[in-house]
Amino acid sequence: MRRRIARRYAAERRFKLLGLFSVLLSAGFLVFLLVTMMANGVKGFTRAEIALTVDFPRSPILLDPAALKTNPAQVLANANLPSVVDQAAQTAFGEGGERFVSSGAVVAVRDAILADPAILDRKVVISVPASEGIDLAVKGKGSAADEAIADRLDEAGLISTALNYRFLLGSDGTDPTTVGIWGALKGSLLTMGITLLLSFPIGVFAALYLEEYAPRNRWTDLIEVSINNLAAVPSIIFGLLGLSIFLNTMHLPRSAPLVGGMTLALMTMPIIVIAGRNAIKAVPPSIRDAALGIGASPVQVVFHHVLPLALPGILTGTIIGMARALGETAPLLMIGMRAFVASPPGGFTDPATVLPVQIFLWSDEVGRGFIEKTSAAIIVLLVFLLTMNSIAIYLRNKFEKKW
Amino acid sequence: MSGAMIVIIIIALAATGWIFARARATRFQAEVGRLATNSRPSQYGWYVALWTALPALAFLMVWANVMPRLVFDSVLSSPAAQSLPADDFSRNVILGEANAIARGAQAAAFNPQSMTLVEPFRDATARYSAAGALLAAILAFAGGAFAFSRVGPSFTARNRVERVVMWTLLLASLIAIITTAGIVASLIFESMRFFSMVNPLDFLFGLKWSPQSAAMGYGNDDAFGAVPLFWGTIFIGAIIAMIVAIPLGLMSAIYLTQYARPEVRKWMKPMLEVLAGVPTVVYGYFAALTVAPALRNLAATIGIPGASSESALAAGLVMGVMIIPFVSSMADDSIAAVPQSMRDGSLAMGATTSETIRKVLIPAALPGVVGGVLLAVSRAIGETMIVVMAAGLAANLTLNPFASVTTVTTQMVQLLTGDQEFDSAKTLAAFALGLVLFIVTLLLNIVALRVVKKYREAYE
Repeated sequence: MRRRIARRYAAERRFKLLGLFSVLLSAGFLVFLLVTMMANGVKGFTRAEIALTVDFPRSPILLDPAALKTNPAQVLANANLPSVVDQAAQTAFGEGGERFVSSGAVVAVRDAILADPAILDRKVVISVPASEGIDLAVKGKGSAADEAIADRLDEAGLISTALNYRFLLGSDGTDPTTVGIWGALKGSLLTMGITLLLSFPIGVFAALYLEEYAPRNRWTDLIEVSINNLAAVPSIIFGLLGLSIFLNTMHLPRSAPLVGGMTLALMTMPIIVIAGRNAIKAVPPSIRDAALGIGASPVQVVFHHVLPLALPGILTGTIIGMARALGETAPLLMIGMRAFVASPPGGFTDPATVLPVQIFLWSDEVGRGFIEKTSAAIIVLLVFLLTMNSIAIYLRNKFEKKW
Repeated sequence: MSGAMIVIIIIALAATGWIFARARATRFQAEVGRLATNSRPSQYGWYVALWTALPALAFLMVWANVMPRLVFDSVLSSPAAQSLPADDFSRNVILGEANAIARGAQAAAFNPQSMTLVEPFRDATARYSAAGALLAAILAFAGGAFAFSRVGPSFTARNRVERVVMWTLLLASLIAIITTAGIVASLIFESMRFFSMVNPLDFLFGLKWSPQSAAMGYGNDDAFGAVPLFWGTIFIGAIIAMIVAIPLGLMSAIYLTQYARPEVRKWMKPMLEVLAGVPTVVYGYFAALTVAPALRNLAATIGIPGASSESALAAGLVMGVMIIPFVSSMADDSIAAVPQSMRDGSLAMGATTSETIRKVLIPAALPGVVGGVLLAVSRAIGETMIVVMAAGLAANLTLNPFASVTTVTTQMVQLLTGDQEFDSAKTLAAFALGLVLFIVTLLLNIVALRVVKKYREAYE
């Protein structure tokens, strides 16, 4: 008997440990995922820079000093800066030296001239981004040959690491040392703007109608069923809808934040409706009765009393829905937002890409430098999402009421 | 005048109407007394504003759709259009090009003839948009004036404004139905076109999937047998992912509801929920970058043949982790719904906590758990990015989890992100796959909700 009890207690302990193990395993996976992304990505925010000595008077630069004063950007664009950089690199590092610096070096040189045109008359040292191989070697992930070059440059005191501001301000490109996420981020913001503009009012109005006014009949049942269904439809199906209705039937521009936002709005709307209905349901009937009792009309009851009280709950649901839309990729692939876009979109109808799609596109790139850029972009996306979710939790805690 | 400009002017007119009507209402309300009027001053304002804006905006929407045709007709009747070629296709090309240049969307013409048509296009567009703007302005004024003339102490502005509000609310909720109808209609319509080229039976039961030609129609070397895709989807989403998600999710829910101290629960539950909030593209990248190579090395070490760097196992494992919070929160709910008396009864009989859980709580909560699992399966088979990035493209009918398989969603992405020729069986096949996916996930959801609901009622 006693042995049996001991066995049962052992089973009890095993079962409890199994539960604990499951929780820890799940949490451990999350931690592992985040740590991997951080480890891979955090160096994407920095870049290796080489101190490049440029002797402007001796370089093959074609500049008209007078024109430089009036329209510097235009003049510099035509000034054959790439060959200036190549020549300077060859002089400094010998034959093949131009391969040490990134294609972004031209931009650094141009910015240096713009900042101080007087340097054109002398020999100066400009910090330019290193090429992909050197960059990786400096960060300890490069090939043996590149490591050797990096060591040599390091001994000469020419290498430094700096914040890669271009990663935060630039757009997609083909060279991992010059790509940036601002284009995708701006595309995401524009797309989210459209999504919010459409899904929030529609979602709130639909929730108000269903919860406050709708008669119980077959029509409202149908509306309810289709809202619940839409919340469960796979996101890629919304992409098909966007493709065949917005692009093929309505002929809206492809790859545009407008269409992306409309597609995501249809996806987000049911989430807002469901959250909104719960928030509206939580407003006690006594408030409605009191307002009706002093002669308010049903519309006044809802817009003056119920809606303001339900708003924090609705906002929480909206933020959660928007967070999901922000991370969504598949429907946007369907409507062509996977195009290569090398400059940030200027408006709602310009071709654009969004953060998750940019991550997807970079994940396909073969260049090893893209691994850290992809992970860095993931860090940016996760920071956005965590911020949104924290705001939602904060709102929920702040406005949680017990009536 | 641009469209946005006209809309702004109309809204400004409406705002003016609002101010004047409200002022007028305030005045007569002061004369006759507050209680003698039907509505509050701002409601008179809204009445006038709505009458100013709505008809004019509705007209503009219709006009935007009618105008291109009017412009084309007018250009066709212009003398410059007489020399256009007779066949419709080249004629439309030239007309389209001229129109694009006139709008400023295109800088130069490929076709010299279209340059002669640019002027007529510009003229016609300017003429018709001016006419549209004028008509809209007249409508706005007429509507506003009509509404303003009715503003008086006995006029029931409130009821009318509120009727518009009610219609707006109803319309908003109808969007859900319209979206559903749009999804169903576009899926069915495009699938019908696909099935007119490919036999539905071949599609549903064929064992070979290799869409080749992006050209028109149905090439000879194409094969649209979707069984390998269905198998890949089930293999990853319903088998491998669930082998990960069900035990981990269920045990996590049990631990967190039955054993964990409140403060542990308070921290761990949101942490698990974060797993559901991580974008799937991040999981996909993680699966492709870290999990898949590790699994391939593992397979190579233990000598499994056919190990691929893109494997069903990598996608399934990661997807299973993503699904854990769904399973655990559904299990959490259904365990919490089991009456406390059943638990107490079991414990009072001398059962240990784990025996109570295994023999009493789980059997009682089983329908809810099953419903949750079905919902999770439906989500897993609709999931796209993880499998696109980690599961591969080869349509294999295999039981080897280390081999590359492909899924319905992967192929949809694959078929629709290349060329965009909408008459080819290749692109239309994506819609047929979408239709199957839609029907299957819908059925799973309906069944799951039925199961959950039925069970909930049993204890209430």
